[in-house]
Amino acid sequence: MASEIEKGTKYIPEMAQTEIDDLNKSIKTASLKVIEDNIERMKKAWKNRPQAMEYFDEISNLFGKRQEEIKQQKTAGKKVVGYSCIFAPIEMILAADAIPVRVGSGWYDTAKLGDRIMPVEICPVIRSTVGAKMVSLSPFLELSDAIVMPLTCDGRTKLSEILADYKPIWHMNPPRVKDDPHTLGMWKQEIMVIKEKIEKLTGNKITRKNLKEAIEKMQQATKAFRRLQDLRKGNPVINGRDAMLVNQTSLWDDVERWTQKVNELCDELEKRVEQKEHSTYPDTPRVMLTGTPMIWPDSWKVPNLIEESNPQGLVVVDEQCSGDRILYDPVGVDEWTMSDMLDAISERYLMACTCPCFTSEHGNEDRINWIIDRIKEYKVDGVIYYVVRGCILYAMEYQRIKRVLDKMNIPVYYLDTEYTREDVGQMKTRVEAFLEMLEARMDI
Amino acid sequence: MLEIIAETLRATIAVALILAGSLAILIWVRNNTRKLSALRLFIQIAAVAVIFLGLIIGPFGLERWSYLGTAPKDITIGKEILGRPYPDGLTVPTFSCYYASGRTATCVIWQLQSYLFPNYGTSSIYLTTGLERLAIAVGLLVVISVIFGRFLCGWICPFGLYMDLLTRLRKALKIRHWTLSDRVNEGLRQARYLIIAAFLILSFLLGMRAIAGVELISESELGRYLEIPFCQICPAKPLFVLVEGALGFMDVDYMLSQTIGDFALTGWYLTSINIVILGVVTVGSFMIRRLWCRICPLGGLIALFSRFGPFKKISLIKLTKVEEKCTKCGICKRVCPPQVTEVYEDKGGDVTVSSCILCFRCVEMCPYEGCLNVEFAGKPIYKSKNWLNEEE
Ligand code: SF4
Ligand code: SF4
Ligand code: SF4
Ligand code: SF4
Ligand code: SF4
Repeated sequence: MASEIEKGTKYIPEMAQTEIDDLNKSIKTASLKVIEDNIERMKKAWKNRPQAMEYFDEISNLFGKRQEEIKQQKTAGKKVVGYSCIFAPIEMILAADAIPVRVGSGWYDTAKLGDRIMPVEICPVIRSTVGAKMVSLSPFLELSDAIVMPLTCDGRTKLSEILADYKPIWHMNPPRVKDDPHTLGMWKQEIMVIKEKIEKLTGNKITRKNLKEAIEKMQQATKAFRRLQDLRKGNPVINGRDAMLVNQTSLWDDVERWTQKVNELCDELEKRVEQKEHSTYPDTPRVMLTGTPMIWPDSWKVPNLIEESNPQGLVVVDEQCSGDRILYDPVGVDEWTMSDMLDAISERYLMACTCPCFTSEHGNEDRINWIIDRIKEYKVDGVIYYVVRGCILYAMEYQRIKRVLDKMNIPVYYLDTEYTREDVGQMKTRVEAFLEMLEARMDI
Repeated sequence: MLEIIAETLRATIAVALILAGSLAILIWVRNNTRKLSALRLFIQIAAVAVIFLGLIIGPFGLERWSYLGTAPKDITIGKEILGRPYPDGLTVPTFSCYYASGRTATCVIWQLQSYLFPNYGTSSIYLTTGLERLAIAVGLLVVISVIFGRFLCGWICPFGLYMDLLTRLRKALKIRHWTLSDRVNEGLRQARYLIIAAFLILSFLLGMRAIAGVELISESELGRYLEIPFCQICPAKPLFVLVEGALGFMDVDYMLSQTIGDFALTGWYLTSINIVILGVVTVGSFMIRRLWCRICPLGGLIALFSRFGPFKKISLIKLTKVEEKCTKCGICKRVCPPQVTEVYEDKGGDVTVSSCILCFRCVEMCPYEGCLNVEFAGKPIYKSKNWLNEEE
């Protein structure tokens, strides 16, 4: 006897195929426009934008070349493993010769769609992903053969249930206190479970050899990423938005190619450092972003605002899992035995992470330390603390971080927003006031 | 008077040269992060060569010790200190074993035990009084500990090198090391001090031979063994003499003839307890990195004079951490041979602890620029690097 639960109680109600197709088409067209618009604006703001950026413009088209490429590789027998957040051990996916792609969703239009079944109090990142699923919009989500879902916040926990109606979902349980001796052991078991699942899905064993290769590949990516970051420490040779785009494309691009292209970009930028060819005025206030992930393309409204406002700001660094945190930490292997590599991977993904889902005896102090260090390293003039309504964890940590920053005499601005374009005008006024204040401070 | 000045001058020059040399080496490696471990191995080997220099120059005309067969004579440095005869030579807090041939300096543990009871060594070569000798030994121990701390363990001690070689062998065989639980590790750390107390008290009491007319031990062979109690269980002694025996530098027959026939005390140079302990430590340190160092009383002695009380403040080598730069990634904890957890756990500042052998593996592996730093006399001499850049 089928239980009540089993009798078709999916989260998302059935929709007529024609409606799905129509919505899919219209949202996709709108999204392509947003992508194009973003790139146009980035080009306009940075005259003399280097050639190497073109590659990233192309990859940034979510419905373009990369999607086709993955489709082809899928037909050739490769598996695609999606993941919802940077807790997923990419090295293991690569080692098993599968394609890792991040499936988080940044479409404002699909967030509205998600409102049909999700209450508005819920974080729009979640609503948007649900909406995207409703109309099969997200290419990478659709292409995934399975999705790794670390249960970092309540939104993601329930999201995993919703997506489970369509795809195999591999849950991961990050411990909330990361530096207790036993929690690392727990997390390592989570990693081991994922390892087995990846092996089963792909039919490829994760061996000492291929895991080592995958780790080295990711180390190279981190190396390239750090090279780019170092260039952001000095006078501006790249605009913040452009660097953010470069970093974010690593979430769906082929890692090796991405590394190579970033290195090409850095070659060019390093020359510009010598020639003092700046992307904008060197005395532009230097801004750090922190808080809720900003997902391409719609969330670019914030960096667009900052870098196009008057006075202008320059995003030099961020503390976001959609940005600088993706590739910041390398997997540090001591002995290159299988178990040491697995330990190294477990540690890398748990301990170095500054997600607000953690706490400890001293609170989530690792995040605060990260922010303090970056402020000093990148000579940040002010911090914009970005939170979307419903993102409780980031919202709650604000007060403490503000206190720390106040003590350091670093102005911080709490920018709360929604997945909507309607508040841009009003946000502009607020951001400009903040940047004006930063500029005034710099003059003194 | 003049002699004293000359001696002091000579000693100062020697110390200055050693200091300058070590500094030069450290500065040289400053930009070679990932090569630090290789450099350390090189220095360890060089140190063994210096400590047992007699073995190297012995074959080229150095006087032999007839009663040891082919063994070359020791070329002990510092047979005179401040114009006073100091026949056992320079005291060093490292396992430069008294029993092995060709040594240039002497293990402090042996000297402490021998000199502890003032009547020791009545023969004519021991003209200095027992107390004077003890003062020199302790003084040198303190001074060297303050200057180098357990850097001696990480970079100089021959027995440490032996364990590192076992580790390298294990790595080559692709076997993963075992770890001890933090509790066991802490237990071993504490046990070091018990061992130190036990051997000091024992050697003092037994050195007296008799208390108020009650004989403790007789003037016999057994007395000779028991006055130096730690050396009869030390795992380093059999290693050195067996290696030297195997290489033909020492006469194994002679070594074994120094016996009183007891099972436990087969000889002055080798006791069966020594050999068993060496066996256990060898197997143990093959699987567990630097196992012996976690309980080694010599390491404990150095720590005592570099990591506690007033010595902590004046000790010259320090490991420091910049709190904000540390992401708590845990790499330093995992790669540490004696499993020091404090570098990871402590907030910033001085994170040197008594169980740290100052091997700087953590500094080498910490992936964040300037997060971990080595300081000598307050000057940074080596720091963690973005090692991704150096793996070409
Ligand atoms: S933005 Fe905040 S609430 Fe939303 S999914 Fe991320 S952590 Fe959860
Ligand atoms: S036996 Fe051990 S403690 Fe004794 S002198 Fe030799 S190395 Fe030192
Ligand atoms: S702890 Fe003991 S055995 Fe280890 S290196 Fe130091 S002196 Fe040598
Ligand atoms: S390796 Fe460096 S960053 Fe990582 S925990 Fe240790 S000190 Fe901190
Ligand atoms: S803490 Fe660092 S320097 Fe000390 S023993 Fe461990 S790895 Fe070596």
